Amino acid sequence: MGYPYSHASEVSIISKHFGDPDARTLEGWKKRGGYEGLQKALQMGPEEVIELVKDSGLRGRGGAGFPTGLKWSFMPKDSKKPHYLLCNADESEPGTFKDRELLRWAPHQLIEGCAIGAYAIGAEQIYIYCRGEFFEANQVLAKAVEDAYEAGILGQDVFGSGKRIELTVHAGAGAYICGEETGLMNSLEGRRGEPRIKPPFPAAAGLFGLPTTINNVETLSAIPHIVAKGSDWYRKWGTEDSPGTKLFCVSGHVRRPGNYELPLGFPLKELINEVCGGVVDGNALKAVIPGGSSVPILSADQVEDCLLSYEGVQEAGSMLGCASVIVMDETTDVVHQVMRMSSFYAHESCGQCTPCREGTAWVTNILKKLLAGKGTEEDLTTLMELTDQMTGTTICVLSDSVAAPVQSSIKYFREDYQKLIKGGEVNG
Amino acid sequence: MAKKRQPPVEKASVQLLVNDVEITVPEGTTLLEAAKEAGTEVPHYCYHPELSSPAQCRLCLVEVEGAPKLVPSCTTTVAEGQVVKTDSESATKMRQGVLEFYLVNHPLDCPICDQSGECDLQDFVFSEGRKHGRSKAAKRVIGRDDFGGDILFYGDRCVMCTRCVRFMEEMEQKPILTVVERGNRAVIDTFFEQGLEEAEWAGNVVDICPVGALVSKDFLYKARAWDLEHTPSICPNCSMGCNIEIHTRDNLVQRFKPRKNIEVNGSWICDYGRGGYEWLNQGGRIEKPTMKDTHEPGNGTQEPFGWEDLLRGLGARLKESAESVDVIASPVSSNEDLGAVLGLLKALGGGKILYRCPTSAEEVKLPGKEGLRRTNQLAPNVDGLKILGAVNVGDGSGAGGLEDIGASNSTVLVLGDRLEDQKDGFAENAGLLVYLGSHASQALSQADYILPITTYVEQEGTFVSSGGRVQRFSKGLEGPHAARPAWSILNELTNIISGSSDGDNVEEAFQKLSRISDAFTGLSYEDIGPEGVQLDAVAKKD
Amino acid sequence: MKAPKFNPGWAGNIGEYELTEAEIRGEDFVGERPLEGGHPSASATYPYMLETKDPKAKLFEGAYLERFEKIVTRYPEMRAALLPTLSLAQEVRGYVSPQTMDEVAELLELSSAYVRGVATFYTMYNKSPVGKYLIQVCTNISCNLCGAEDVLRTFLEETGTELGEISGDGCFSVVEAECLAGCGFPTCVQINSKYFENVIAEDVPEILATLRNEQSTDPRKKSLKE
Repeated sequence: MGYPYSHASEVSIISKHFGDPDARTLEGWKKRGGYEGLQKALQMGPEEVIELVKDSGLRGRGGAGFPTGLKWSFMPKDSKKPHYLLCNADESEPGTFKDRELLRWAPHQLIEGCAIGAYAIGAEQIYIYCRGEFFEANQVLAKAVEDAYEAGILGQDVFGSGKRIELTVHAGAGAYICGEETGLMNSLEGRRGEPRIKPPFPAAAGLFGLPTTINNVETLSAIPHIVAKGSDWYRKWGTEDSPGTKLFCVSGHVRRPGNYELPLGFPLKELINEVCGGVVDGNALKAVIPGGSSVPILSADQVEDCLLSYEGVQEAGSMLGCASVIVMDETTDVVHQVMRMSSFYAHESCGQCTPCREGTAWVTNILKKLLAGKGTEEDLTTLMELTDQMTGTTICVLSDSVAAPVQSSIKYFREDYQKLIKGGEVNG
Repeated sequence: MAKKRQPPVEKASVQLLVNDVEITVPEGTTLLEAAKEAGTEVPHYCYHPELSSPAQCRLCLVEVEGAPKLVPSCTTTVAEGQVVKTDSESATKMRQGVLEFYLVNHPLDCPICDQSGECDLQDFVFSEGRKHGRSKAAKRVIGRDDFGGDILFYGDRCVMCTRCVRFMEEMEQKPILTVVERGNRAVIDTFFEQGLEEAEWAGNVVDICPVGALVSKDFLYKARAWDLEHTPSICPNCSMGCNIEIHTRDNLVQRFKPRKNIEVNGSWICDYGRGGYEWLNQGGRIEKPTMKDTHEPGNGTQEPFGWEDLLRGLGARLKESAESVDVIASPVSSNEDLGAVLGLLKALGGGKILYRCPTSAEEVKLPGKEGLRRTNQLAPNVDGLKILGAVNVGDGSGAGGLEDIGASNSTVLVLGDRLEDQKDGFAENAGLLVYLGSHASQALSQADYILPITTYVEQEGTFVSSGGRVQRFSKGLEGPHAARPAWSILNELTNIISGSSDGDNVEEAFQKLSRISDAFTGLSYEDIGPEGVQLDAVAKKD
Repeated sequence: MKAPKFNPGWAGNIGEYELTEAEIRGEDFVGERPLEGGHPSASATYPYMLETKDPKAKLFEGAYLERFEKIVTRYPEMRAALLPTLSLAQEVRGYVSPQTMDEVAELLELSSAYVRGVATFYTMYNKSPVGKYLIQVCTNISCNLCGAEDVLRTFLEETGTELGEISGDGCFSVVEAECLAGCGFPTCVQINSKYFENVIAEDVPEILATLRNEQSTDPRKKSLKE
């Protein structure tokens, strides 16, 4: 059930108990079928759990959409080294606000998913890296973890199975880049949250240099349901390549913004017009960012036939990312918003790689100059070239993330830029 | 004594193609090192062969056939049959782009920057950068910061390669440098007012800084890089035998820089060693060979003579006395000097060689490089002297221990030691007192003969390091006109005394050593090469 | 769409659900977190951004020492405890001064410079003192589309401060924040530990008035003064 609004088109699996305080308690969660998935998993072999998740076709919900079962299967099988399961709860992609709801409304769902994941990959220690600003979510989660320990769900002997699973919640301290998996690991280790060069990949050398799997909150929250009800059940929704349901975070110029759990492949237009009640004040739609601020902007035309699956959004010319739909109506100053995004990236760049460190700030400067009416046509060429120089040349993709909105906005909303340039000439 | 060199572990070799050159390198080699083998230097800032590689400068990206995007050559290792292109269109375009980013906030103050002329940013931009930058905005200004010790930081020139941070963390293992802030506000800094004072190897951060961000206060504005002559040499300030380059201009030493030798010092030298070069520029030199006027009783004056007459006279007097000789050598004397002394003693009635050496109670280790340290013997050839039979006397400050010789009435030869701790009229009862020195000595002003010699930078020769490695140093400065290497003078004397005619060159001077000590057997001067040779016999002894 | 006038924001807009504020905020459920932080492995050592701070407080003593000791047990390496320890230090002292970095470095056997490098990487550590209430207004895209810049401007005007400055009465510091992950509830404002959601410019005077009058009842704040 969506939050704060719900809609009949929704398929509530992971968001079923949003808004229901009773579901946050251990007793309440158990009453609603909680921890059945974990108990079932403990009866199965770890390999079996991995196979089941592979069969479900669940793809990582953090943005990249990598198949979760496959990721789990990369973990070394007969290594004597300790393994870690990391849960990425450092939600900070502009436009995304699903994990906070999952953390504070369904903490036990996440704990259960984490425990199943740890069991499957042979980890005894789980860290949930929770965004530092989420004081409330952290509190709720901490209480749930304590209750789970007391009930023997976590600890030395999970549900009497003899398996040891420890879970620690770790709070971040304010850095977008710590949502990048290797940046998160560095941060958890008490370092500057700078992404690491890959290889080595986390499954070989991750947290504290040991084999590590890292999954998003939403991914792990779906696990208990898949294990309890089976992969075929999960595949009832979504498309062949993008099975299941997904939380869509809709924000911006819509009447009813919020989280909606919908089957993947849901039409974007319907999401905006039906589920969210349409664009505010009856305005016309101008642009949509379908997957958080790091993906290319879609123009209103591209929205028409866009289906919200990993492959569908790609076809439309963008990426599903973490399904954070930012809606902009006709009143929107696109250049201003692009500048705001780029200044965000300049603020959050870790500063390691030169193209990102210097490029993000430079691009922001040019956009500010354009907004001040002092830009030229040449600046648009420079912007395109600079963002090209920033794509695919850095350790992580933060730098590429600036390129996406800048390049797509120049492509689809060139007249907005040109208005600023002409205005500048008149004024100047 | 250093560990015996392990035989290299046989690694599987990998064949690949770099810029159409086929090469074979050991498995695990990085593409950047492989490209070096193939004759291509891939531009880079953050990579340093002796530090970890964060792959963050993004300049060393190269094209590997089949890879979806450019790969950092500093961390990517070779694979069989790989086809690598460092100068493909995409790689050069990318480099040009990255270089443009480097200049967005760079002050371009090359005319007043010490690094100018040996700056990687200057070089790379000159060869591959855009003609004109496109950034028109005001530049970010960080300014200058005194990091303490000998180090100054010019933040605006910094390219954020973090080599300095990693050096302090991984090599010196005192993480007192860090990156502060993030994004383009990021800057290298220490902990507020605390500087690098507690560091003892900090000078290396200046060497590894690819640009002029970290500079030496001592060298600040002293010379332009292109005016300096570089002479391969050995650090004279302890017995570790660190390989250095001596940079000179106007016949003065301007600075010491480490010279890479992975077997000894890697790319590093300590601050103590680096700072100790002023004595090589010191005045007060002995300009001419002189002999004390024997006609005057008591304090005679020193009369200058030509070398030929003087040495003939001295040789005759030595031969005449034909008694055992007491020699005071200096621990900066080269092996060749010592060999020549021993040759002379053999021609006469034998004798003993003493030396004094200042020492330090503490060694100063560089934890990240096994075995590398400032040893507690603060002179370069203590081990050479030991091998050749010299005996250490005196205290830890390099003084005292000469009571017997001071009272001697036989022949006394002082080689290089200025005897600063001794009173005037040292060994006044000696049958014959000869001083071979570079600088005037008060204690020896009454010597019968005073013969000007060159300092070690004014000649070539060899030292033996504490690790038992014989290493060559070269001539970087011109000595006073009449000064000669001590070995040259002593060998000529021996020729005069024994009627031999050994050649006056360093190769032969070195060759004499193998007749004296097993350690040098079978070794020729040419064999030693630029990185020295381990004396196995010496290694076995300890 | 009218945003509620004053929304304490613990769980956002109550929307179409018929739930009481207490239920939504979940205080009955979450309860007061114990000062010493609860279960060591489950952590529960989350710092609050306290209104009452003592820049001279000792690092650490009493319940805070207990929390620090728990934090250290949660990781295989001391270094990993750095972020939570800095947070804890900030909870007590209000900001992370050079002196604090130095002390934390000593506690965790790290170099002071290293701690400075880490502390300056993260925005949640205040490197200089802030007002009693630190008001962080999100102006990133989703909130920006819905008038966040007006909200920010109004906060600045009403408190009479420039960005990042402490107001004359020491009550407020207003800063611009990056996305707080409350995009569905624009404008999202974080004041100390709490989220205020669906804030519009008109709400600002009332929010400030409430904060000014708020009498602190949090037991943690009392114990700190003792």
